[in-house]
Amino acid sequence: MNHQIGDVILDLKNVSLAFGGVKALTDISFDVREHEIRAIIGPNGAGKSSMLNVINGVYRPQQGEIILRGEHFARMNPYKAAKAGISRTFQNIALFKGMNVIDNMMTGRNLKIRSNLIQQAFWWGPARREELAHRAKVEEVIDFLEIQHIRKTPVGRLPYGLQKRVDLGRALAMEPSILLLDEPMAGMNVEEKQDMCRFILDINDQFGTTIVLIEHDMAVVMDISDRVVVLDYGKKIGDGNPDEVRASPEVISAYLGVSH
Amino acid sequence: MGFFLETLIGGLMAGMLYSLVALGFVLIYKASGVFNFAQGSMVLFAALAMARFAEWLPHWLGLDSLWLANTIAFVIAGALMFVVAWLIERLVLRYLVNQEGATLLMATLGIAYVLEGIGTSLFGNNIYSIDVGMPKEPVFILDGLFEGGLLINKEDFIAALIAALLVGLLALFFQKTTTGRALRAVADDHQAAQSIGIPLNRIWVIIWFVAGLVALVAGVIWGSKLGVQFSLVTVALRGLPVVILGGLTSIPGAIIGGLIIGVGEKLSEVYLGPMIGGGIEIWFAYQLALVFLLFRPQGLFGEKIIDRV
Repeated sequence: MNHQIGDVILDLKNVSLAFGGVKALTDISFDVREHEIRAIIGPNGAGKSSMLNVINGVYRPQQGEIILRGEHFARMNPYKAAKAGISRTFQNIALFKGMNVIDNMMTGRNLKIRSNLIQQAFWWGPARREELAHRAKVEEVIDFLEIQHIRKTPVGRLPYGLQKRVDLGRALAMEPSILLLDEPMAGMNVEEKQDMCRFILDINDQFGTTIVLIEHDMAVVMDISDRVVVLDYGKKIGDGNPDEVRASPEVISAYLGVSH
Repeated sequence: MGFFLETLIGGLMAGMLYSLVALGFVLIYKASGVFNFAQGSMVLFAALAMARFAEWLPHWLGLDSLWLANTIAFVIAGALMFVVAWLIERLVLRYLVNQEGATLLMATLGIAYVLEGIGTSLFGNNIYSIDVGMPKEPVFILDGLFEGGLLINKEDFIAALIAALLVGLLALFFQKTTTGRALRAVADDHQAAQSIGIPLNRIWVIIWFVAGLVALVAGVIWGSKLGVQFSLVTVALRGLPVVILGGLTSIPGAIIGGLIIGVGEKLSEVYLGPMIGGGIEIWFAYQLALVFLLFRPQGLFGEKIIDRV
């Protein structure tokens, strides 16, 4: 399957966000094209996670607007975002710890469920058939992410790397058109990082999902992204394909040049 | 032996009723992470509605069947609890998403006063009775096995049976249905639940409604035992040691905690009472809860609280 990078699907215009006197984002504009992998990079505290939280409606920016498939959203919220096909993972994994892997991923199907409360309570025909269909879909995602062996394990007991993968699985179970990944590889070892890279590329390639990701590992970002936005102190200091960004003097002084 | 069993069974039946009250706390705590101070007021409100409608309906509609009047009154009271749940979400909870636990706690304290006020102004504040036709006279069972048999209070027995049934159904609902799964998801993590498109507002209405129904059943059972009066509010206090014992997040914990406290109360009253003076029943549950708070604050089945440092 070959998904050509298409038109602008998500457009952010002049977004500014402040918490009291602290300016997290100042007048940031950038766009995301359909089927591309778009990375947001920047030093710690640059406003990367805030940017993602604005897209997904967790934070409401004081200024600016979000245009999703031509539709203007002045007030985005996480529920609207989910309905519009945006799903996300979290930097500090936010799985439902008491539930097992399958149940966690089944929650990702919630928006697609049509049967009502009463049908469910009595395990009525339509509710049962629906549950089985969604379960089949979740099993596909489980196969895709190669986590068959832990399907019934409560997620609280899984090692960190696998929890990250389940988090991704729950987002994928929503069959999103745009997937937001907040540091999908933070805290992983080399092998786990390679796996995660492969999954991200496969998701983009096989399902044509548009991916917006935040990542610290520069090598990874430059390898897998189509275009990169660079933030520093809440301002945009670079935007372009990996080679352009790598060559920009501002970016080098703000980020790449600084040793960690 | 017969006497011991009789005490044990009495304790189990009383315990089941405590579980029912505790269940109200657990449901709301699970879904919204807030300890609901208004649970007792919800019991009072529901019981008042039930008692007064059962009294008014025969006059209004010319019914002469007690059973029919009770059924309609129960349905109306249930519908009222839905309105209450909807209003609480609409007017209070909606504005407190992702706020501190203490803020929500204070909000439920406010809800408690408002509910008590509205309940007593609508329905009056005298002592009313609920007569759902529970058999009052005790019966002897198993008189073949023991000399004199076991004396069982039929009313308590039926009440315990209803409570057990309700608790079982709710546990199934939580575990097996899509909505149940969404409820558990909201309980674990508001933000994550919202980001995958679980409508927080609707889930809250559902959970407060279910807690309202539990309060209604508890109100009917306790109300028919003690009479419907303002002191029903304190019935909820009996649920407190139960949730501390069983864990605030566990439905099975609420059941087993209730049973342990019911049995513990009755056995200690009967067997320890003569040694250290009576009245143990009154403080036993709270002492046990205190011990648990010292040594196992998450309760028997609650989730252990581990914070990243």
